[in-house]
Amino acid sequence: MKKALILAGLLLVSSLAVFGQGYDAQPADALVFPIGVAGTPYENAELGTQGGTLYEASIEDPRGWNNHTAHETSTTQYTNLMHRGLLNLDHISGAVVVDFAKGYDISEDGLVLTFYLREGIMWSDGTPITADDVLFTYNDVILNEDVDCNARDGQILPDGTFPILEKVDDYTVTFTLSTIYRPILNSLTFNLMPKHKLAQFVHKLNPDVPAGTFNETWTLDTPLSELVGNGPYVVTGYEVNVSVTMERNPYYYGYDNAGTQLPYYDKFVSLIVSNQDVSMLKFRNGEIDVYALRPEDIPILLPEGPAKGYTVDITDKATYGTTWIMINQDVGLPDGTNEEKRELYRNVEFREALAHLLDKDTMVQNVLNGLGTAQWSPISVPSPFYGGRDFYGGPITEADAVWFEYDPALAASKLDALGVVDADGDGWRDLPSGDPLTIEINANDNTVRIAYCLIIQDDFREAGLNTNFQVVDFNTLVGQLFSSTGDIIQLGLTGGDEPNSGKNVYRSCGALHAYRFSACEDPDEVDLRIDELLNLGANTFNLDDAFAYYKEYQQLLAHQLGYVYLCQQTFNYARYDKVGNAHLASPTSTPGGNNGLLTELCFDKS
Amino acid sequence: MLTYIIRRTLYMIPLLLVVSLISFSLIKLMPGDYLTTARMNPQITEETLNQQIARYGLDRPFIVQYWFWLKNVVQGDFGTSFDTRMPVFKTLFFGSRLMWTVIIATTTLVLTWIIAIPIGIYSATHQYKPSDHVVTFFGFLGLSIPNFFFALVLLWLLVVIFRVGDYGLGVGGLLDTRYFDAPMSLAKIGNYLWHLWPIWVVIGTGGMAGLIRLMRGNLLDTLTLPYVQTARSKGLKERVVIYKHAVRNAINPLVTVLGLSLPGLVGGSVITAIVLNIPTVGRAYFAALQRQDEPVIMGGLLFFSLFLLIGNVIADFLLAWVDPRIRYD
Repeated sequence: MKKALILAGLLLVSSLAVFGQGYDAQPADALVFPIGVAGTPYENAELGTQGGTLYEASIEDPRGWNNHTAHETSTTQYTNLMHRGLLNLDHISGAVVVDFAKGYDISEDGLVLTFYLREGIMWSDGTPITADDVLFTYNDVILNEDVDCNARDGQILPDGTFPILEKVDDYTVTFTLSTIYRPILNSLTFNLMPKHKLAQFVHKLNPDVPAGTFNETWTLDTPLSELVGNGPYVVTGYEVNVSVTMERNPYYYGYDNAGTQLPYYDKFVSLIVSNQDVSMLKFRNGEIDVYALRPEDIPILLPEGPAKGYTVDITDKATYGTTWIMINQDVGLPDGTNEEKRELYRNVEFREALAHLLDKDTMVQNVLNGLGTAQWSPISVPSPFYGGRDFYGGPITEADAVWFEYDPALAASKLDALGVVDADGDGWRDLPSGDPLTIEINANDNTVRIAYCLIIQDDFREAGLNTNFQVVDFNTLVGQLFSSTGDIIQLGLTGGDEPNSGKNVYRSCGALHAYRFSACEDPDEVDLRIDELLNLGANTFNLDDAFAYYKEYQQLLAHQLGYVYLCQQTFNYARYDKVGNAHLASPTSTPGGNNGLLTELCFDKS
Repeated sequence: MLTYIIRRTLYMIPLLLVVSLISFSLIKLMPGDYLTTARMNPQITEETLNQQIARYGLDRPFIVQYWFWLKNVVQGDFGTSFDTRMPVFKTLFFGSRLMWTVIIATTTLVLTWIIAIPIGIYSATHQYKPSDHVVTFFGFLGLSIPNFFFALVLLWLLVVIFRVGDYGLGVGGLLDTRYFDAPMSLAKIGNYLWHLWPIWVVIGTGGMAGLIRLMRGNLLDTLTLPYVQTARSKGLKERVVIYKHAVRNAINPLVTVLGLSLPGLVGGSVITAIVLNIPTVGRAYFAALQRQDEPVIMGGLLFFSLFLLIGNVIADFLLAWVDPRIRYD
């Protein structure tokens, strides 16, 4: 009996040793969140306590566990909780803030960025994190051509070179740039990877493994105990098509200002629910604690919430991304036809007439149940550089916005002035030469997009334009876009905080400059100014100057009517009241958080 | 019989070759490819895209790609998924997918047959009576409601009308979250059953109507045959006439159906599995189709074709076994 007791005691001690890992005391270099401190982004947050499990749903399975070879958010929503970088985008304000770096300096000439790392911080397996891990991640993973890594593109400087990363000592590194390029700060949010676990899989460092091995490392079949990170959570369970379980990283360096280590929740479980209707049912059934809802869910959830103990937040915050129609100014160019139509499409007056026929208010009301905002700018509304603000990062006033109000009469008079009138009396407007004009609108099979296009088709027809809307396969649509064989195409693009992340789209030679690919060889004045403004905005660390350049950039693009923007859904959220700090969910927290939720600050109130 | 099976197996080889060539061509005829979504990502440059195209071998001419694929398959290498970067079959069968697919498929199959055959017999022996119309009606109802919709309605009823959440019960998936880490127990098995019954109901009702009609029709045909009349006229009990003579002969065509349902066991019910959150091989294959993950599509197709062919052979074999009149030599 005594023996058994001793054995049980030993077992208890040894099991405590496993779970007791972590720091003995708050590290001197911990990242402290100023919870509830007025004047900070966290002033509306509450202090919490550790414990509990947070349940949410996500729509797809992860495709692997390797953050740098992942190409989709279904994977990075987990790896972003497992890894953190030198810098991060603030979950609430979207500004660039320090994360694993405790601070950084920019040299006088703006070409050398020195980062000071947090000392005494460990990976989740207890190995210290040093400058070598930063060098490994940057030089041997991200910049390594053998690694299939999308993050490399964000590191390219305007002259085509990459920043040179050097180690000063174990806790100091410098990035040397060939030219001043502020958007590099957004790119230096890249997640850190543990050298001691992964160097053996990089062909460059270990010639024994074949080239490309790193791309097949940390896949779904890797034992989860091999996964090591420095973020708030590590993956500890995965049941395919069912759930992902993450548990707190005992060595995470984030603390609240009361000295409690983050994250508050011990566990974070993401149920994989591929059907949104089922997600909503699971939320109503109390199986998941939070739910990023669709406009059509609101009439059901709003009345039910108080009785079931959940709150539905309806915000006016727009989400990231743009939705647009593209009037192909190169229409007919690939096969040398439609010359007159092309000339018409290239006339900005004609595009203005079409813009005046876009009834964005009706789209918001009828398609998005009123839960959307009209768009005019290529930059997503949550970005601090959105041109509708009255200064850098300031409140949105839309004073500087460029709107083409819905005005069919004005549109008609513009069309008349262009000679686009009904010449043959068939009820449809014709080209100035008298040849018939037909407009084709294509979109892919998506209920929201189809609804937009039907509204547009109605208004175009009402104005006398012979318009046909057709739903085509997404890949066919993308094919039309890249080969300039479409007419008017309705699609959308993802967006981010930094305008230069969209340079692939808006630079005259950009790969997605689909409204006029020919602008690359034959740019007009506006195209050249847009190219210049993108460079100017990037070429300064002064955010006010950058904002001024980017504002002009947005206004020029809005006037140019290449992509003509429609509207974007606003961010709406439903959450059980027992989840503390869930009210901080916002579209801005998506880059670093999960499903809009500021995961590491949520806590169990029940 | 043995020579027959060997002959059939040898026939499979050219057949699978043709199947693979046709499906490879069809994949290539689909607009776009695995990288189409990446092309629409503003943050990916053309250089990176071109590198990826080369990495996946998508820049080579069609016939070269097919040749390389075929060469590797002959050597037993079905390739690596573009998407998960794991070998093709690991991607398809990952985790407990294969196990759950087999469990769900076999239990549903057995349940469907156990219920549908007696109903079909009952329906035939009570032809045009009100009870025949009632069972036929419900059979058709099950057949005509789309499975995904029926599944959604079922979940909605459970959550909103029966409010199962108040009793701590979840809907969809395999288990309630509180049992995720729990050791196996009676309560846990009970919870599995709670999550499985909607699948049985949804898939079962969908497949039952066809079987009922088939059984009913076959039996009705058989019941008019002279030997049934002979059996009756020599004074056998009606029960013996039906079960010993008529049903045994009426069931032959159903054996073929059973054999052909083999590939459906592994690949079927995708949409129901998606709505009810069940891990199945079909879902992995469906995801590969949506993402144009070519190696997985091709590997999966070969696998399902092989299953279909094996199912055919088994059906022939079973038929010979239940019907002594059939010989393959």
